[in-house]
Amino acid sequence: MTELHRKYRGWVPVIVILAILCIIPFHMRAYHVEIAIIYFMSVILAASYRLVTTTGDWGFAHIIMQGVGAYATALLAKHAGIPFIVMVPLAGFVTALVGAIIMVPMLRTKGFAFFIASFAFGEFIRMLWMKVKHPFGGTGGITGIPSPELFGLKLASSVNYYFASMAVMVIAVFIIWRLDRSRIGNAWKAIHTDDSLAECMGINVARYRTLAFVIGSFFAGTAGALLAYRMGSVDPHNFEITQMIYLVIWVVIGGAATFWGPLIGVTLLTVAFEWSRSMLEWRPMLFGGLLILSLIFMPGGIESLLPGLRRPPGEHYARFRKWLTTVKPG
Amino acid sequence: MDSATLIQTLLNSVVTASIYALVAVGLAMAFGVMKMANFAHGEFFMVGSYTVYVLYQLGGFNFWVAVALSMPIVALLGVATERLIFRPTGKNILAGFMATVGLGFVLQVAVGRIWGVGMMKRIDTPYMGAAEIGDAFVGWQRLIVIPCAIAMLIALRYFLYNMKLGKALRACAQEPEAAALMGINIRTMTMLAMALAGASAGLAGALMAPIHAVTPYMGHGIVLIAFVVVIVGGTASIGGAVLAAVILGFIHTFVTTLTDSLVGTMVGVGFMAITLVIRPQGLLGREKP
Amino acid sequence: MALLEIRNLSKNFGGLAAVSDLDLDVEQGEIRGIIGPNGAGKTTLFNVISGAYRPSGGTISFEGKSIAGKRPSTIAAMGAVRTFQRTALFEDFDVLGNVSVARHLHAKETVFGAIMGTAWKMEAANKKRAEEIVDFIGLGEVKHELAVNLSHGHQRALNVAMAVATEPRLLMLDEPVAGMNPGEKAFMTEVIRKLRNEWNITVILVEHDMRTVMGVCESVTVINFGRKLAEGTPDEIVSNEDVIEAYLGSEEILGEDF
Repeated sequence: MTELHRKYRGWVPVIVILAILCIIPFHMRAYHVEIAIIYFMSVILAASYRLVTTTGDWGFAHIIMQGVGAYATALLAKHAGIPFIVMVPLAGFVTALVGAIIMVPMLRTKGFAFFIASFAFGEFIRMLWMKVKHPFGGTGGITGIPSPELFGLKLASSVNYYFASMAVMVIAVFIIWRLDRSRIGNAWKAIHTDDSLAECMGINVARYRTLAFVIGSFFAGTAGALLAYRMGSVDPHNFEITQMIYLVIWVVIGGAATFWGPLIGVTLLTVAFEWSRSMLEWRPMLFGGLLILSLIFMPGGIESLLPGLRRPPGEHYARFRKWLTTVKPG
Repeated sequence: MDSATLIQTLLNSVVTASIYALVAVGLAMAFGVMKMANFAHGEFFMVGSYTVYVLYQLGGFNFWVAVALSMPIVALLGVATERLIFRPTGKNILAGFMATVGLGFVLQVAVGRIWGVGMMKRIDTPYMGAAEIGDAFVGWQRLIVIPCAIAMLIALRYFLYNMKLGKALRACAQEPEAAALMGINIRTMTMLAMALAGASAGLAGALMAPIHAVTPYMGHGIVLIAFVVVIVGGTASIGGAVLAAVILGFIHTFVTTLTDSLVGTMVGVGFMAITLVIRPQGLLGREKP
Repeated sequence: MALLEIRNLSKNFGGLAAVSDLDLDVEQGEIRGIIGPNGAGKTTLFNVISGAYRPSGGTISFEGKSIAGKRPSTIAAMGAVRTFQRTALFEDFDVLGNVSVARHLHAKETVFGAIMGTAWKMEAANKKRAEEIVDFIGLGEVKHELAVNLSHGHQRALNVAMAVATEPRLLMLDEPVAGMNPGEKAFMTEVIRKLRNEWNITVILVEHDMRTVMGVCESVTVINFGRKLAEGTPDEIVSNEDVIEAYLGSEEILGEDF
């Protein structure tokens, strides 16, 4: 009994949180429900971005990948009448494919160069959307995405869409959590720690880096589908650098060493984002400042303040690694 | 393309290449010494533009004085970045870089709050009119960028190769441990590198102020170009940055003339992709075994 | 056919020829030593064989198949694995965890399997094998210690355990006893012998510690300036005049360890 107790003790807070999430939409104003819907997408983005960074590849294209999923949804749902339940994973697969393609040149890069290469390719894709009117709609984007339905239930209402996106979020987070704890996840962490060693121990580093990027992109794409359906449209301006910077802020401030860090980060910062609505013009400075202070005084992120955070056996509390050469400044 | 357009495009290419070179060289230098980069480099450029806006447009200073002042001002910003961000994060290069991402936001809001967001600032062109070369017309305001940039690059080269402090900087970039053993203070060199990065980015911004739209967000477009140029050239190579600046400057300008600037940037990124596949260390970067 | 056959191998870095025109044959079941003064090209040789560097010229074949220019992970999958001169560990894992990661080649996991958790049987088998290896190498007592917390000798031993976990037929050890005290060295020597005697693993070691080389290697190849200088039994090598001269020119004196 105690063995079982210990093993499943960690599930209790998760179940409690899920239960709360199931109850609250009925007691919130519609405006807050909409914010929660966006929050669920942000959770998917944070968890999937962290998945990519597990190998040490800090890229700058994740929001664009969300955009790829959004555009795929806009085009396929609108012109091919694909239903919601198929479209969400389908958007993921399309995005995964795009991720696999751009990863080919990006594999040649590591660390800083990877960051820039991913930034550049992301911008390339965004410019493609803005430039090409057919089919991407140019700077105006695409409108008129059909309202989603799930098993006959119309998802147009806030509460219905809340539950639909929550379901997608739970599935996504679960899968990402399973992958993180698996041998594949350990291979990614090994690559992050010492990629030449990992390679010599039989881990094909190129293949695993690609796998992480592709899977991360898959989930970013599903978040894109959720966004496209909710907005009923896609606009290239939704996927700009600013959005990517906020994603980085969530993950870094939360802490990327464990699976839960980014989730803590995105939750706290979404709340902070809403609270600071009155100071809209100062908000980027507030968040930028928080990022700087966090990196100087708390480089491990908020999760580093919570030693009780359960980690799989054998995994020590990790620190950010140097990307580049062994040369240290200062 | 008729001969007039060709000449115009060629000259504009040189202007573009000059700006790219100024922006990228500072970045390459800072990267060489510190092995890290400053994502707010685009904002450094922006502050350089704003210096001209504030001093020349609002304050009535002489245009050249304003341009000259942009260099120490942004250099100071570079030093501040080094002290307040790079030094506290120390060996954690990733943290330092991410912090500069936040710095970008801070600078954008700061500038935006003081001088307003929204409409782009119009700056009266101090050099009206255009040069006539054959049938081509190229604005004087654009043309003067070329000698300024070349002068700065020559000064930089002289500094790095002929002056004691500059040679120390280069030594630091190539062999930091040996440099430290020889008594070169890495901290000073890091500050110097960031100062020079700031000065060159600031100069570029200042020169472009009358030509380009001046907004707090103008850094976004620059930072992408700057980093792409540095990657294509070879991350720590200053010579590579200049070479890549020329190639990418020409590509961008020609493609933009033929289509538009979106496609121009896209082709530039495509060129970077090809470089990464064929020669991942960059044009003049060090080869991997 | 030898287990490892190298012909005319060369590796250049810019103008510098780190390895030139090298021929090397290692038979199955040997314990071969590779020695030479500092900078002779021994680690470069390992780097080329293991796939970290591409050869500039020549051929390398392992079990009859060419491995020149292949990825290190592919070469490891083919059965030839190396350890590093530096102590290379997955710092966030414990001893068992490190060896477990190194079982990668024998733990095929698909994405679907990872999500559904279907691999538990295979993982149990791998855990058993990992523990077996850890005990064999003598790290049984510290198997739940974090790799960063181990003593230097234990860390080097862990490196060997990880390499062994890939189930290699050829093990290339780069300075396995570096920084060890005499007790640890003796233990490592015993481990190397056991690896060959009990598990049939062919071992090549690069070493500077002459006593170890003399004690465990059955044949020795001497390299200097990237070229093969001499080859033979340890006794033959020690009395070889060219070898003595090569070492007299450097800081290491062959006789010092005696």
